[in-house]
Amino acid sequence: MPRFALLALLLLGPAVCVPATQLVGQPAPDFALRSWDGANMRLSEHSGEVVLINFWATWCGPCRQEMPLLDEIYGKYRRAGLVLFSVNLDEETNVDAAREMAKTLRVSYPVLFDARKEVSRAYQASTMPLTVLIDREGVVRYISEGYKAGYETRYTEKLRELLNE
Amino acid sequence: MLRQSLLKITATLLPLLFAAGLATAQDSTTAPLTDTSAPAPAPSAPAGGDNFKSLDEEVQALKKEVLDLNRELFVLEEELLFPANTQVAVFVSMDVGEFFALDSVTLKLDNKEVANYLYTEREAQALLRGGVHRVFIGNLKAGEHELIALFTGQGPNQRDYRRGATIKLEKGVGAKYVELKISDKAVKAQPEFIVKEWE
Repeated sequence: MPRFALLALLLLGPAVCVPATQLVGQPAPDFALRSWDGANMRLSEHSGEVVLINFWATWCGPCRQEMPLLDEIYGKYRRAGLVLFSVNLDEETNVDAAREMAKTLRVSYPVLFDARKEVSRAYQASTMPLTVLIDREGVVRYISEGYKAGYETRYTEKLRELLNE
Repeated sequence: MLRQSLLKITATLLPLLFAAGLATAQDSTTAPLTDTSAPAPAPSAPAGGDNFKSLDEEVQALKKEVLDLNRELFVLEEELLFPANTQVAVFVSMDVGEFFALDSVTLKLDNKEVANYLYTEREAQALLRGGVHRVFIGNLKAGEHELIALFTGQGPNQRDYRRGATIKLEKGVGAKYVELKISDKAVKAQPEFIVKEWE
C-alpha cells in the first residue's frame, strides 16, 4: 500500500504542486497592491530597476529570521537601484498583526498586502518565504523557496550580478 | 500562444541565418587565395564588408517582418478572444475641477466581479491629465445586463470618497463601449460617475 501511495505521489505530485521556479526566465507577472502607508504600488512602474519580491506571512517562522537580513540588503543596495517589495499574504482579518510584525522587525522597505492572494497565485507562492529576483527587463531571474541561514549570501551574489548588468 | 510559437521559431532561425551568412563570407574571402588564374586578388575587406552589409539588411528585414507579424497576431488574438459582436469594453476617465486622487475602481457585471484595478499615483496623474484607461474588456451575450461600478479616492483636504453607479446595459449586435467619467461638474467638488456609451 505504501508503494502505491508513493507511486501516486510521484505521478500526481508535479501536476498538483507547480513549483515557483518554473517562472525563472519568464516575464514577471505584473501586479498592483496597496502598501502599508496607503499608496498603491505597481511592479511595471519599476521597469529598468532590479526588483526583489519577498512573500511572507505572520505564521511563518523563517520569515521572521529573513526579514531583518533583507532590510540590511535593502539599506545597502537601494541607492544602486534595488527596489524591494515585501508582500504579506495574511488574511484581511490579520492585516493588523502583519503591520505589527513588520514594525517590530523595523523593516524600512515597502510592505504590500495581498489579502486576495492574486499575486501569490501568479507567482505560485506555495512555500514561505519565497524570494524572487527580477532584472531590469522585467524577467524573473532567480527564485528561492524557504529560508535557511546563509541564503542571504546567495541573494546578495545574484543581486550584484543583476545590478551590474 | 501563436505569437510565442512564432517568436520561438524566429529565435531558432536567426542564429542559423547568421551562421550561413558567416560561412558565405568566409567562402568568398578564401576563394581568391586558391584561384591562381585570377589577376592580382582584390582586397578581401570590401567583399567581406558587402557581405556583412547584405546580411545586416537581411536581419533588419527579418526583424521588421517579425514585428509586423507580431502586430497582426495581436490584432487577431483580440478578434478571436473578444469578437466584435460580443465585445464589451469599459473605460475610465476623469474630468474634475478640484483635485481628486483616484485610488481604485471595481466593476461587477451581472453580480460577478470582473475588474478590480488599483491606481498608482502615476496612473492617477495620467487620468487627471486627460488619459483614458480601459479597465475591462470581455464578452457579453445580447440582452440586458447590469454593470455596477464603484470608485474610491481622496479629494481635497484628505477627504475620502466612495461612490457607485448601477448601469443597465442593453447589449445588441456589435461591440459595446462604456465610458465611466468621474466628474465633479454636476455637484461642485463632489466627484460622481457619469456614464457615457460610445456609438
